[in-house]
Amino acid sequence: MTVVAADAAVSQVDAAAAAASTRPRCSTEDMLQLLQDYDCWVFDLDGTIWRGNEVIEGVLEALELLRKLGKKVLFMTNNSMKSRGSYLDKCLQDDIYCSSYSAAAYLDSIGFDRSKKAYVVGERGIMQELAAVGIESFGGPDDNEKRASFSSEMLHDTQVGAVVCGVDPNLSYYKVQYASMCLLLNPGCLFIATNTDARGHFTPNLEWAGAGATVGAIKGVVERDPIVTGKPSPFLMQDIAAKHNVQPAKSIMVGDRLDTDILWGLNTGMATLLVMTGVTDEQLLVAQRGSSNGVKPHFVMDSFGDLRRVAQQALQQQK
Amino acid sequence: MVSCKAVANGTTQPRRADTDDKRKLIDSVDCFIFDCDGVIWRGDSVIDGVPETLDMLRAMGKRLVFVTNNSTKSRAGYLGKFTGLGLNVNAEEIYSSSYAAAAYLESIDFKKKVYVIGESGILEELDLKGIQHLGGPEDAEKVVALKKGEYMEHDEDVGAVVVGFDRHINYYKIQYATLCIRENPGCLFIATNRDAVTHLTDAQEWAGNGSMVGAIAGSTKREPITVGKPAEFMLDNIAKTFGLKRQQICMVGDRLDTDILFGKNGGLTTCLVLSGVTDEETLLSPENSVHPDYYMSQLSELLAVKEAAKVAA
Repeated sequence: MTVVAADAAVSQVDAAAAAASTRPRCSTEDMLQLLQDYDCWVFDLDGTIWRGNEVIEGVLEALELLRKLGKKVLFMTNNSMKSRGSYLDKCLQDDIYCSSYSAAAYLDSIGFDRSKKAYVVGERGIMQELAAVGIESFGGPDDNEKRASFSSEMLHDTQVGAVVCGVDPNLSYYKVQYASMCLLLNPGCLFIATNTDARGHFTPNLEWAGAGATVGAIKGVVERDPIVTGKPSPFLMQDIAAKHNVQPAKSIMVGDRLDTDILWGLNTGMATLLVMTGVTDEQLLVAQRGSSNGVKPHFVMDSFGDLRRVAQQALQQQK
Repeated sequence: MVSCKAVANGTTQPRRADTDDKRKLIDSVDCFIFDCDGVIWRGDSVIDGVPETLDMLRAMGKRLVFVTNNSTKSRAGYLGKFTGLGLNVNAEEIYSSSYAAAAYLESIDFKKKVYVIGESGILEELDLKGIQHLGGPEDAEKVVALKKGEYMEHDEDVGAVVVGFDRHINYYKIQYATLCIRENPGCLFIATNRDAVTHLTDAQEWAGNGSMVGAIAGSTKREPITVGKPAEFMLDNIAKTFGLKRQQICMVGDRLDTDILFGKNGGLTTCLVLSGVTDEETLLSPENSVHPDYYMSQLSELLAVKEAAKVAA
């Protein structure tokens, strides 16, 4: 995975962004600039739009104002548990890019041999996305009750051509062993990670171990790195750019994590807006901004909801 | 006949020990450290000639130590295995990675609680050192349902998470350990070992503790302190406990990446036996850069020294 150096990325975005990146928080002028400069807004979900199942205050109004201002609104989440279809019942009307989709899109993009199968260590969403591109998969939640028996030889399907991982609240020795056998014994078997996030806001009040745990467990056996398809890998940008006809230079990524959301934005040449409603605290932000190879967002706001007053103003001015 | 001892950095080819080498080897060291699986036993069968070899070395006044990265049993648990196989050994001569974890905590004067991912061996060793613990086998059947309102409390007095081999690894344990490491200031992350695979059965390789440790490294983005091979801790502890210098010790093992590397990094003489996972082809392959000083088919080849002495007399 190639990473665009943070300094080079800042120079691609305009001077206003560069100036804002030295300020602790966006000023009103910064916010007006954002609304002027960026046509396509890509949002992370957990910690940016909602926390677990609770929407963050003011966010839905701010999103609606963006749409009224004619902005393209997209969502991109590393949460691999669901497929795109299931997010729609959370009142999002626009295109949602989830990491489960990214894994399927990646395998599709490399012409994955459809006579082979995928073994999934993760939730149903990954299997649904794979099915949508015609890739047969097994495992996932269907293997939750399986246990390794050490008294007999454990067999595995030699037709598995890819192991695809996401967060798995039912991770077990059996699943790790099965996935490892596929990767070690099936020639050319791909090791795909929807993401490697250490943690996620899977419930409103607590962060839980993320796909990073699943991937780490398997990596500890097979001793190689996976191909990561979700943030911060730039892979999905090609998909988004083509489908929505957007240019990274006129786009902005809004998220709460420096090492996935903001890094993804930097890697793909977008402007980046960090919100403090999720995992990043002031200490981490200051440390990253102060370090020569830290991940530095262009803009910072306490909450995306804070944009609504300025967005309302901008809308009035338009009329 | 030229007897050449390979230099410590292994730039010369490994040498298959002849009788002369074996005698020189035994004479030059006061202590032998043996890996267990593939050296002393294979699964549950003792490798032939081993009991006599150990008795011979003891009769020659050599200190014997047995190390294993397997954390599932305590030293006392392993003693049962040794005795059952007809081997004369004391519990204090056994260094299991379960013991190493407890010994490490003792060496840093640890006073808080430990959350354990692993099996009973670690818990028993912690008990022997008087260290309080939670987790282990009692968390084997716990399930997490990630629905609204789900929450997990954790004990704020946990000052260390010890991760050992665990056939009942689950998301509850991973999450509990992650919370301790992330939320409790100064909480240590200790791994008994990081072996990628382990040989639980002869039929195939099985995911080793590298996977349990990998899960926690992945959920915390932190690297652990490792106490088992090839990290130095066990060797330091052995040398200190028995009052030995590195040059007085020979490491005998079957794995290049743990046993032999462990010995070389520690400045010991090293001897590979081919009775375990490594074959001669792998050892001599140009891709292998870990060179033991000597190698032989199996440990009982050392008995040739006794035979040679008899003949001479």
